[in-house]
Amino acid sequence: MSSSTANAKPAAAAPNEKPVEILQNQASQFYANLHPVLLLSILLVSFRSLVQDPVSTLLGLAPTIAVVQAVYCVLCLPSTGQPAASPPKPGQKKKAAKPAQDLWAKAVPAFLSLVLTLTLSAPTLYIIVILFGGPLTTHQPQTLLLALHLALLTTPQLYYTHGLDTRIWLKIASLQLPIDELFGMTLGACLGSWIGAIPIPLDWDREWQKWPVTIVIGLYLGAVVGKLAGGYVFKGAKIKIS
Amino acid sequence: MEDAASVTRPGATAEERADRKQLSVQFKAQHALVLAFFILIFIFHALAIYLFCSGFILSRLVLTDRSQCAVPPVELQHGYVPGSHEKGCWHPKSFDKVVVILVDALRYDFTVPFRPQPGDETPHQFHNALPILYETSVQSPENAFLLPFIADPPTTTLQRLKGLTTGTLPTLLDAGSNFAGTAIDEDNLIEQLYNAGKKVVHLGDDTWHSLFPGYFEPNLTRSYDSFNVWDLHTVDNGVNEHLFPLLEPSMSERWDVIIGHYLGVDHAGHRYGPDHPAMTAKLKQMDEVFRRIIAALDDSTLLIVMGDHGMDVKGDHGGESDDEVQAALWMYSKRGIFGRSDPGYVEPPAHAKIRPVGQIDLVPTLALLLGMPIPFNNLGRPIEEAFIGKGGNDYKNLAEVSRLTSNQIHGYQAEYAKARKIDPSTTSPTVKLWHTASMEWQRARSWATYSKAWKTSYDSFTAYQTENLRICKDLWARFDLNSMSMGIIALIGTFLVIILYAQSVQGDRAALTPALLSWGVAGTITGALSGAALGSLLSFSQIQLSAFAAVMGGICATLAGFWPVRATLRVPYPTTFWGGLCTLSTLLLCVGFAANSFTIWEDEQLLFLLTTFGVVMLGSSLGQPDETDRNFGSLNAISFLAATRLSSLSRLCREEQMPNCRSTYYASATSSTSAGWQTLIPFIVALLLPTAIRYIYVRSKNYQGSAVIWIGIALRLGLVMTAVYWVLNAADDGDWYPQVSKETLSSTRIIIAQMVLAVAFAAGYGTYIWAAPLLLVRTEEAPAPTTSTSKPLDSSDPNAPVLTTINEPPKPRSKLIILGYANTQGTRYFLLPCVWILALLLVQKPMGQGALALCMISILNLLELIDANNLRRSPLGPIVLALLGSYYFFKTGHQAALATIQWDSAFIPLKTIRYPWSPILVILNTFGAHILCAIAVPAISMWKVPPKLPGLLGRVAGAVATHLLFYAAIAVATVVEAAWLRRHLMLYRVFMPRMLLAVVVLLLVEFITAVIAIGGVRWSMVSVAGVFGYPES
Repeated sequence: MSSSTANAKPAAAAPNEKPVEILQNQASQFYANLHPVLLLSILLVSFRSLVQDPVSTLLGLAPTIAVVQAVYCVLCLPSTGQPAASPPKPGQKKKAAKPAQDLWAKAVPAFLSLVLTLTLSAPTLYIIVILFGGPLTTHQPQTLLLALHLALLTTPQLYYTHGLDTRIWLKIASLQLPIDELFGMTLGACLGSWIGAIPIPLDWDREWQKWPVTIVIGLYLGAVVGKLAGGYVFKGAKIKIS
Repeated sequence: MEDAASVTRPGATAEERADRKQLSVQFKAQHALVLAFFILIFIFHALAIYLFCSGFILSRLVLTDRSQCAVPPVELQHGYVPGSHEKGCWHPKSFDKVVVILVDALRYDFTVPFRPQPGDETPHQFHNALPILYETSVQSPENAFLLPFIADPPTTTLQRLKGLTTGTLPTLLDAGSNFAGTAIDEDNLIEQLYNAGKKVVHLGDDTWHSLFPGYFEPNLTRSYDSFNVWDLHTVDNGVNEHLFPLLEPSMSERWDVIIGHYLGVDHAGHRYGPDHPAMTAKLKQMDEVFRRIIAALDDSTLLIVMGDHGMDVKGDHGGESDDEVQAALWMYSKRGIFGRSDPGYVEPPAHAKIRPVGQIDLVPTLALLLGMPIPFNNLGRPIEEAFIGKGGNDYKNLAEVSRLTSNQIHGYQAEYAKARKIDPSTTSPTVKLWHTASMEWQRARSWATYSKAWKTSYDSFTAYQTENLRICKDLWARFDLNSMSMGIIALIGTFLVIILYAQSVQGDRAALTPALLSWGVAGTITGALSGAALGSLLSFSQIQLSAFAAVMGGICATLAGFWPVRATLRVPYPTTFWGGLCTLSTLLLCVGFAANSFTIWEDEQLLFLLTTFGVVMLGSSLGQPDETDRNFGSLNAISFLAATRLSSLSRLCREEQMPNCRSTYYASATSSTSAGWQTLIPFIVALLLPTAIRYIYVRSKNYQGSAVIWIGIALRLGLVMTAVYWVLNAADDGDWYPQVSKETLSSTRIIIAQMVLAVAFAAGYGTYIWAAPLLLVRTEEAPAPTTSTSKPLDSSDPNAPVLTTINEPPKPRSKLIILGYANTQGTRYFLLPCVWILALLLVQKPMGQGALALCMISILNLLELIDANNLRRSPLGPIVLALLGSYYFFKTGHQAALATIQWDSAFIPLKTIRYPWSPILVILNTFGAHILCAIAVPAISMWKVPPKLPGLLGRVAGAVATHLLFYAAIAVATVVEAAWLRRHLMLYRVFMPRMLLAVVVLLLVEFITAVIAIGGVRWSMVSVAGVFGYPES
């Protein structure tokens, strides 16, 4: 029988259980703040065409979102294995790494994160969307693209910072990871999509009620709100699930 | 996890045996009191629901009597011989033929010229666009008249057509013989015309066909779909296309009555609202249509144009606002027989408050003009303008038709009072008016030439009819708000009791229950008595008052029973993540029921919520530190998710879900038999379901003894027989074996069904009651510890080599190994759902069997998940079970609509209707999923707990109360919302059926959890205690 007491915690604590900090240089801070603005403005700009033609709009947006996310990873986040960025001591000189090499060292994991997002997260999320009652026999392009956008907003940053560490991913799945900007964004995106499904059955006969527009909107708004809340309000908090 | 344990059992001494006996008696008494407490809650709810429904569901008995042409309601005067359709049945007829044009939503102010008023200076789009009706009435009053035509709410087309053809008032439930169908089964004009051999042609809105199936001329009739409100022209153009050829003189032999139903005005209103150019265009088109009809009309034909209701400012209708009830009525004839009792009445009323007539008044008017008998249930009165004659003073004719109508109404009232056993005193004002009217008639007859006497007689008949109608409206069309509020207060109070009992009590609930019960019972009795006493003093319904006082007394006293333990109560506020999620889901559903869309799509929402729970439980299982818990928990969560989504493929769509839903429950959307491939499902269930249950039992090593017999053999056998039954049924439906007689097929399958029920309830319950706990006690030779001794070889020599380990022969020792120790309680109790599932599966259609089997598997998954995440005491289990029960209700081919009740399930094991068995079978079919989930609730608290866990009964009571909490919340929400939305357009179609479902399910689940589930816990716990003893408290 399982015991919920805390003594089961393995002695070797998981490598990165502290909330992830955004890198401390100016570009990182700037882009981390620009990131939600970018996401929101992309949503705002493409709203009309999203309602008119969800498939081609979502398809056209996907590369842009991938780039926005990849740049976020590269610029703002510590990559897998990198020690958590500790705030630089005032007098410390920054290690002068060759910028090209540095960029390469970061671009590869970012690219890998996107590949994992496409091959691992998107199919899983597609199945989850179907489980929640997404249409099974019709609207496949819409559902697939919805899964892709869900994956793009929820997972690349997690792959980039946490890699494929099973222990961490189990903690992510069971909501035990302390909340930070990244995890907050993931949670917010999921919650936003969940809420986004609510207006679908209403008989208002609005164009924007069509599949999957409301969920996409919920997803983007949720991701932005989650990111801000995770980064500023709930940073370091843990969800107590049991 | 500990599946096997070893105990040594010393021989019980006499003292211990006495102790055990005392504990046993204590347990049984406590159990009986807990059961009684739940019965008390059931009684509270039953009283509350009775109070609400007696104020809300006002039913009118549908009398099936028909008026006869040859039998007038009263003997006729002036030697008129009744019974001739040629001359007129009860009264000389005025017209041979009639063209009835129904313009849906033709509001009265569309038809009269706009008159500027303060605040409303300029005409709107809908004004002055349809002048023909007004023009003709003013220019040739003997040919035409135009009047406001007031609808009785609800102003929906279907209800209005009922009123316009039967002359009755709409009520919530017309309690007739025909529950499911929409066809009118009381006397009406269309049926009278049809039976008199008249050829009735219908063009337009297809609602007429569901009301009067088969009464229209099949070759000439054209009907159109009425639901596409975006399409303004198809129906209207279709009616025009087929109407005008019929009006040609060459076609006049082919029809006697034409009913043309135009929908364009209504659709323009729904789509654009009345104040829109589209409405102007539509009304102008109608104007032109009427001019063309007038031109084509012959002398012996009457033309009627009317609206069935109006529309509100947004163009919608259904409610009772002035704009919605004020339609227009216009009659026209080239012969010129209409008159006005006052020259000032030539001009049609400026607005609908002046000289209105009721829509039901059309029924006697049209019947008498066409020489038909007035339909038996009619409450309307003849329209003055149609009978008063050109001169406007033929009061004799008017008094005669009024007398006929009054007598018909009087006859109807007498029959109704007889059928309903109503005390005549409730209609006493009408009795007096009736006497006056009869006297006035006699007086007028003796002064036959004096017009004023006829007028007095006419007035007195009218007074009788008006008063009678007022009383009927009071009785049938009014909600009793007092009674409804009493019901709502009582429901909320009971909810409070349950939530305190389920979520606030922190100690042993079972120990607290006796006090609550005695307080509750005392309060109920005191309340009932004082209510009865008060009721006899006040002029208030004594039954209602005593019911209300009883339930309120009971609730207050039970709440007072919590007072001594108030210190240990906590505020029932969700404190855990799971509690929050459960509360959120329940609240979302409750709020959603206020919107018709959410009520219509409830099945999809339940899928959404269950998947939410499944996904979060999957995540939570993945976070379990113990590897077994993690893997097995995740596996069960995945199985739960897959089963839920798989079963969602079984669908029976309700009408309102069209066209976004495809039914899969039957062979096709229009059939109610299963497809051939669906008969395979029961075989798959027979193959897989017992195996799945067995897997869970084997895993905790409880697949022993009775479990092998029931799950391994009897259940499987019963399921195979069920599958054979449904194959025979399909063979019968599809005529697969024409060489075998239907009789043989049906008696064979009925015998099989009866055998399955016998296996389930006789053998199954027998097994459940007498089974020993599902344990295997094995005696094992324990490997005795090797006794080693060391001693020098030669004891005299201290330096001699030491020989160690001399194995002495081990002493014989045996050890009892109990296999299945860890889940003794859970598996022993779960035999009960395993017994019930057989009977419940038998009465489901093949598709429903697949769904219900998946429900059973989900329940097992849930039990394992709760164990893996150690959430036995969280509200998660009981609430998810309630969600499962509600969800699988839809997946077994039902909807919250009366039409989806599978009445044919009464005939699965029976040839004819037999009481009480037939209704019970329909209940088992309809609420199979609710029943199964309710019976599974105690298993949550008992799954994998130590056999001697103290306070287990209290935990079971808590789980059951939490389960009830869900249904009680839904009932409170739907009842309040139905009361609030009692004049909503969708009340009859959406809100009331959902409210009825909620209250029926609440009562049923309370009964099942109390009697079957908590009742069943007794045998299981006594049997486990027989082996392990009772916990010392």
